[in-house]
Amino acid sequence: MAGGASKLPGRFAGPIAPYAFVLPPAVYLGIFMFWPLARQLWMSLTDTRLTNPTAGNFIGLGNYERLLSDPALYASLRVTLIYTLGSVLLGVTTGVVCALAIDRPFRGRPVARAILLFGWAVPTVAASLIWLWMFNERSGVFNDIAIAIGLGRIRWLTSTDMALASIFAVTVWNVAPFVMLVVLAALQSVPEEAREAARVDGADALSVFRAVTYPHIRPAVQIAALLVAVWSIRRFELIYLLTGGGPLGSTSTLVVKLRQVAFENYELGMAGVYGAIGLVLALLVGAVHYLIEQRRSNWMAHR
Amino acid sequence: MVMGVLRYILIITLVVMAGFPVYWMATTALSTNAELFSTGQVRWPQLQNLPALIGELSKIPIGRWLFNSGVIAAGTTIVSLVLGSLMGYALSRFRFRGRGIAGFLLFMTQVLPEALIVVPLYAMFITMGLLNNLGGLVLANAGFSLPVSAFILKSAMDAIPYEIEESAAIDNCPRFGILTMIVLPLIMPSVAAAGVISFFAGWNEFLFATTFLLDRSLWPTSVGLASFIGQYETPLSTVMGAALIFSIPAIAFFLLVQRKIVAGLTAGAVKG
Repeated sequence: MAGGASKLPGRFAGPIAPYAFVLPPAVYLGIFMFWPLARQLWMSLTDTRLTNPTAGNFIGLGNYERLLSDPALYASLRVTLIYTLGSVLLGVTTGVVCALAIDRPFRGRPVARAILLFGWAVPTVAASLIWLWMFNERSGVFNDIAIAIGLGRIRWLTSTDMALASIFAVTVWNVAPFVMLVVLAALQSVPEEAREAARVDGADALSVFRAVTYPHIRPAVQIAALLVAVWSIRRFELIYLLTGGGPLGSTSTLVVKLRQVAFENYELGMAGVYGAIGLVLALLVGAVHYLIEQRRSNWMAHR
Repeated sequence: MVMGVLRYILIITLVVMAGFPVYWMATTALSTNAELFSTGQVRWPQLQNLPALIGELSKIPIGRWLFNSGVIAAGTTIVSLVLGSLMGYALSRFRFRGRGIAGFLLFMTQVLPEALIVVPLYAMFITMGLLNNLGGLVLANAGFSLPVSAFILKSAMDAIPYEIEESAAIDNCPRFGILTMIVLPLIMPSVAAAGVISFFAGWNEFLFATTFLLDRSLWPTSVGLASFIGQYETPLSTVMGAALIFSIPAIAFFLLVQRKIVAGLTAGAVKG
């Protein structure tokens, strides 16, 4: 490109060439991703406090021992598990239903498709604000409806029975559109003749879906499910803003708990333990994901 | 026939459920406090309240917040695209020692929760003087957009025949020049998709921003909006109006490039 460089043919073609490209992003990720991650794991072995984050004493597995006998940890793990599985199940089902509903052309399809994507496109903080207002106990629209149909006033976000369910509603609104888009793309590979033939043979809609449609969209559904699972483990803002993890920890997933322990209790060491557990969970899902993908690409290669 | 009607009912139900929160945001923004909290919220947007809403919006620093959001988003996009295209190019074009590990680590960064590194980054930023600094926030954000950008760009580059680059190499064009002048222009749609994803990741980001930016004048819109929660001095209609302004660019761009974004995100998930 520059005059001097262009006089050196193959300057970048030697064995160092790839590293010239890999190094800048690798160094950057090393500094801002992997080093902090290592620090986080190290912190879990110390008694570091937020009030003096650079000074902490090594205390071995003390934090782990303390946390493993703390019921709050198991509560938080349970919430994380339920939230992740629930989000995958509800989000993917809703997304697939949306995709099947608007797959074939109809009047107003582009508009319907656009509106169905709103929940995915609205920034999380803005979404949290409007849902907080709709969930408002005294004047929110959901309680207007609940009262009108005789259910009475519901404490959507402040009762342990309802809070997680309410969070699920917002989560599904947010992730289902993405699943829908992924599945819609996959549905284009389903041969319409095959569906038609099954219908002529007298198969009902559900059988057609199971026998003809689903095998074609299964890889897409799998990818979507894994992404939704990953996002559920990562999701912080929505829960933090809607319930802050409450009431009584009923919506406190690991990441919400982590931030609370770090920035409200000032216990960075303990937060580190939550981080380590979160890391293991995230890596597990990531590994499953990776293995499935490897298997699929091998299968594609050998076909 | 019955199926057709049922399908329409299903579609209408889904569309109403998906669209209602945004409709309600607009309706709330155009209501008065009295309607919202005592006489009952009007069910349709009262456009005659628009001038009053605009007057109220000028009392909060929404312009400043949107500007900060824009700076953070643009910075995140630049860092993520520059480093992501280097990484994507290396993964697409070279076989080198450590390629497998690089791909795997890059893949794994996508599953890391932000919350996991927020504490160490906070400690690190104190010592580096990056706390309370938009640049520091950009550097923290871009780490999470970079892998997505890298995978999107890599899969786009995989589709470009290598011969095009070979002819350029014969003309003594260095590899870096080949990337910026030949490869990237050929995959502009994917660059745009990666850019939009990075931009709105930065635009929407909240956790890092609320942790690292202590100075109110540096707040982006996400942090400013969240500061209204549990605070009653600002009318709710103003808050919703600001939330709507904050959402419109995101909605518009996501709708515009939806297909590319999905292809990109799943490509990132697929290619290890």
